[in-house]
Amino acid sequence: MDLTGIFDALLTIVGSPYHLFLLAIAVPIGMFFGAIPGLGGKLGIVLVIPFVFGMDATAGALFLIAMHSVVHTGGSVPSILFGVPGTGPDAATIVDGLPMTKNGEAGRALGAAFGASGLGGVIGGLFLLALLPLLRPIVLTFSPAEFFLLALFGITLIAMLSGDSLIKGLMVGFLGLMFAFVKLDPQTGIERYTFGQLFLWDGINVIPAVLGIFAIPEMIALGAAGGSMAKAEKLETSYGIAGVLRGIGDVFRHWALSIRTSIIGAFIGMIPGLGGDAASWICYGHAAQSSKTPERFGKGAVEGVIAPETANNSKEGGSLLPTLFFAVPGSSGMAILLGAFIMLGIQPGPGLALTGMEIVWVLIWGLMLANILAVIMFIIVAPGLGYLSYVRGNLLIPFVLVLTFLGAFLAVRAWENLVLLSLLGTLGYFLKKYEWPRPPFVIGFILGPIAEDSFHKAMSLWGPAFLLRPGALVMIALIVLTIGFYVFRLVKHKPKPEWLRDDDD
Amino acid sequence: MTINAILNGRVATALVMLLIFLSMTVMALGFTEKARLMPLLVGVPGTILGVIELINEMRATIRQVEAGDPVDALTRAERAMFGWVFVFFLGILCFGFTYAGPLLVFAFMIAGKKESLTVALISAVGTWAVLFGFFEQMMAIPLFTGLVVEWLLG
Repeated sequence: MDLTGIFDALLTIVGSPYHLFLLAIAVPIGMFFGAIPGLGGKLGIVLVIPFVFGMDATAGALFLIAMHSVVHTGGSVPSILFGVPGTGPDAATIVDGLPMTKNGEAGRALGAAFGASGLGGVIGGLFLLALLPLLRPIVLTFSPAEFFLLALFGITLIAMLSGDSLIKGLMVGFLGLMFAFVKLDPQTGIERYTFGQLFLWDGINVIPAVLGIFAIPEMIALGAAGGSMAKAEKLETSYGIAGVLRGIGDVFRHWALSIRTSIIGAFIGMIPGLGGDAASWICYGHAAQSSKTPERFGKGAVEGVIAPETANNSKEGGSLLPTLFFAVPGSSGMAILLGAFIMLGIQPGPGLALTGMEIVWVLIWGLMLANILAVIMFIIVAPGLGYLSYVRGNLLIPFVLVLTFLGAFLAVRAWENLVLLSLLGTLGYFLKKYEWPRPPFVIGFILGPIAEDSFHKAMSLWGPAFLLRPGALVMIALIVLTIGFYVFRLVKHKPKPEWLRDDDD
Repeated sequence: MTINAILNGRVATALVMLLIFLSMTVMALGFTEKARLMPLLVGVPGTILGVIELINEMRATIRQVEAGDPVDALTRAERAMFGWVFVFFLGILCFGFTYAGPLLVFAFMIAGKKESLTVALISAVGTWAVLFGFFEQMMAIPLFTGLVVEWLLG
């Protein structure tokens, strides 16, 4: 392991006031987006994209990862205080967090959530750090044949997991792929779907595509709903700092559970498509099953807050693995982050293992430092968190719209992107309204160029026989198993678990 | 049963998706052999899935209509929000970020959401401070000035 590189990356962050300043502003922004139900981390990332425009890759990536990694720390606040999850994966925190608030232990529940989130984030980062030496040689053994099929597998998996209909999921994923083909053909240089527009010669930029599919529909939905973020129940939530510190202490009193659920969360995060909902519910279930007094769960057991919160944050470390080295995002949030990384000039994929490890170390340290900073900041602002219920969507909608148009324009400084954004935003809203899962679009769009490039390379190296390579056969088997599992579930009419329904992360 | 009864939002969305795949697949046939390979590899299954999904949605709608259940339609609030997005698009396209941004925020607050004049003014000034102060002055990023303004200024 390149220890010098690892610690140089740490020095790059802590030795630079500029980087520390970026961390200090990214963390509260991330927590804010997590803490306001209806906003969430994805929207947060798309909105700060204009602000990271022009930053160097290290600074921009550090800012984005710091912001993204603490979203769920913020999401625990409305879950505990108002019984409304800030983000989808925070729903599991409600089960015991809200009863704790009703029992007059809001401070302790918040402290446990902050402490668990911080610890989970750090362990997630360490998990990633520990796995990298093992992963690097594996990534480098992947040939173009495996990468092409990996792209198809990623789309199939996420299409299945992010909605009720595999057909809809696949279609949206394929649509993302088709949109990725809009550019000059990399093989022949002829125009494909560009309609003579110069700004499309290099392809549709990922930023207006992501903003159109995610941000505009969210704002239309928020505005149509009257601007209310959530129907929060205002509870009596007075608490002191002593309670918060007691909650943080609980995390360390239950250290074995905290470490176990952090590792489980990080491991689940590595599996593309499963994401935070699965991690938090599985870890909540693990905490209840492994407890000597499972009857306390659901009535205000602090372990019921610790388990999902450690998992929520640790899975971000795990999901960075497929995102960075295979360009297969671990979640839809990671898909957007991936798009932003590309905008900053960071090209995810196996090449990163060869030439881009410096930025990987920076991201890992950024993730861990942001989680620690988030705990400190939350302790400071804990007494005022109840005011979050007063934030009104009406005040955010127009500002978010302006920033969305700004982000689309700045991506390539082309006004034509405003037209593209509006068209994709309209399509995105109808996809949202009629339950077409949108995350597969981003994943298809990002994987499109990789899939096409890998396909042509594999064809020129082995011809159609590339499908018979051992690695390719494994990938084909995985795709068939994924579809087979979906069909089996459909035939059996089994209801899908709650954590598979939400596409919030 | 009339076409209008079947053509609700769900069916229309499925139809639009199918048409996107169909048209992109047909267009791909005009590319050279190498250039059309991937678009066809994705477009053909996409079109087939589109036909299946359209049939699924139409059958679901027919069942819904026959059962007398209400069919999905855009609400007035949704139409209003679409209108606002269009106004933001048009405003920024014609007059750019620095001029149109604050005005649009102000107009949305007052006309769209009936906020108080104070809140609307503060929001507009805040938007201007971010666009002009942060981006143009502090970060030295020149923003789009708008097609009309560009034309007027020559």
